[in-house]
Amino acid sequence: MDSRVMALGIRDLKFRYAPGSAWVVDVPALDLEPGEQMLLTGGSGRGKSTLLNLIAGLVDPAEGRVFVGGTDIHSLHGAARDLHRGRTIGVIFQTFNLLHGFSAVENVMTAMMFSTIPRREHRGRAEQLLAHLGIDRPDADPDRLSVGQQQRVAVARATACDPVLVLADEPTASLDPENAVTAMDLIQAICREKNAALLCVSHDPSMKDRFERQASLEELARGEAAEVSVAAAGAGKRG
Amino acid sequence: MAMTDFTIISRSMTARLFSTITTVITVAVAVGLMLLLLSLRKAGEEAFSRGAGNMHLLVSRDSSAMVSVLNGIFYANAPQRPIDWAKYEQITSSYPIDWAIPTQLGDSYRGHPVMATTREFFTKFQPDPSNPWQLREGEYFDQPFEVVLGSNVARRTGLKRGEKIVLTHGIAEEGHEHPEFQYEVVGILEPTGTSHDRALFTDLESTWIIHAHDRRLRENPNATRTTSADLAPADRLITGLYVALPTREGSRVPAVLQQVFDMMRRDTSITVAQPGDETRKLFEIIRNMNLLFVGMAGVVMVSSGISIMLALYNSMEQRKRQIAVLRVLGCSRARISSLVLTESAMIGFLGAAAGIAVWLVGSQAAAAILKDMLGLVVTPRLDAATTLIILLATVALASLAGIVPSVVAYRTSVARNLRPIG
Repeated sequence: MDSRVMALGIRDLKFRYAPGSAWVVDVPALDLEPGEQMLLTGGSGRGKSTLLNLIAGLVDPAEGRVFVGGTDIHSLHGAARDLHRGRTIGVIFQTFNLLHGFSAVENVMTAMMFSTIPRREHRGRAEQLLAHLGIDRPDADPDRLSVGQQQRVAVARATACDPVLVLADEPTASLDPENAVTAMDLIQAICREKNAALLCVSHDPSMKDRFERQASLEELARGEAAEVSVAAAGAGKRG
Repeated sequence: MAMTDFTIISRSMTARLFSTITTVITVAVAVGLMLLLLSLRKAGEEAFSRGAGNMHLLVSRDSSAMVSVLNGIFYANAPQRPIDWAKYEQITSSYPIDWAIPTQLGDSYRGHPVMATTREFFTKFQPDPSNPWQLREGEYFDQPFEVVLGSNVARRTGLKRGEKIVLTHGIAEEGHEHPEFQYEVVGILEPTGTSHDRALFTDLESTWIIHAHDRRLRENPNATRTTSADLAPADRLITGLYVALPTREGSRVPAVLQQVFDMMRRDTSITVAQPGDETRKLFEIIRNMNLLFVGMAGVVMVSSGISIMLALYNSMEQRKRQIAVLRVLGCSRARISSLVLTESAMIGFLGAAAGIAVWLVGSQAAAAILKDMLGLVVTPRLDAATTLIILLATVALASLAGIVPSVVAYRTSVARNLRPIG
């Protein structure tokens, strides 16, 4: 499939910290279709976080291209790349990274500041999304919400601008098992609803049952499970 | 309401409320001080130029025009060389003069200078051209041995109307008193905001009588009490003339001023001064001192700018994660640094606005203190342009102070500040 219509398309992506050192990231190819969900596993090395940073355009690769929503994010520079990231990628962090001093709804609206969504629709949309995710007090200070609720606010913020790709970085690591289940249900459901591709990085074994498509960084490096033509994922999606 | 850059900035400021408020106060104090010094300088200049009032020329026999003004208007010293009455009459009859008021300085009361003059000093001369003399109580002197107190003298000495006082002949400590010649306080003046508030006023004749008495005692130690009848032409001495030339209606500067001035200067037996010129020269000297004060206020302003920079710079450590999150959400580096720069400018603006409020209160207090302690009437005033310039300069300075923190914000690494990740 043409990488330009993919939610995510990676081609010959290589990254290392210093010339001559070993590649930290070496991904010959990886495609995610819109709405597709994939789990990236492996030990807690630096590779996975670097890969996410490369995809988000926060770190520059030594070689290769990363297409998000059809545009090579590394071909963009400065504010254009930041805007592209804000409009096409949602990021869910392990530690939520909610903005302190901002209410739940303001956290969600901050994401919209950089989108093309008309300003007068911001509050309505944000409140609706929060309500949809089970937050009935949109004006509450996130610090006063439970950990599970904070995660929901973070999910709402990541999906507020209808991204084509959601990057979830250890989304359950800060949650107890019960909340973790709810959070993952929520994340996967909202991504499906918005037809956003989901790339979830986790070494939580309980995640394995949730994703049909899975790979470790090492497998990606060997070119295994890299193509979207992985039968299970493709079939699962189309079926 | 949607989120705006302004919301982010104001949240950032309220999140560190203590730091924001102390920084704003620092700026406010600096701006207030600057405005206070500028406005007092203006007021001081006005107070200085008011002393000469509506006179055009000051005639004396002092060594220079400057000395003549310092002595004759600002009561610095008693003039040493007198003008006799014949000379006075010659001057008044030789030139086109509207009025010429004879003045005589040399006596004092508890350190306050006594000006002996005529009633015209109160009816024709005005220390402040737009305001005539006002009596707080009593009346102007009408006959010998009556004295009118300048407002400052009344306040300092506590003298009341009807009290009797004895003047000292000579301003310095070595002066001698004439207990046999008592003056009665007949009036107390309202403040004029000029040097004249520090003086006592009496008529020329009583002063001449006391001086004549000294002379007569030297000639005959058993001389009787001197009266007007004993005055000889040599006793009728003055030390200065306040001169006004005729002016056209609606004009303050007489057409003949330069002409008369040049003519009078040809008479080498007298010194003639244009008080306006001399006070301007005097102020030129003081201006340098003022510049020093304004310079010091400028240094305080700059250090308040540094405190803005430090406050914002120190906050960067706490804000790195917030900056990183905003970047992930789509905010560019440039917009991040403009947020910090704008926050800095806003602190400057708030500080300047608070500084203007500080000045409004502070200047009233300073004016009250100056009036109370020195009897100096100053009206601290600032024109809109100066205020606006200070306001803009403060905002500019604050923006400058925001550059270093905004560069730090610009260079904040997103990847490094979102850990733990992956």
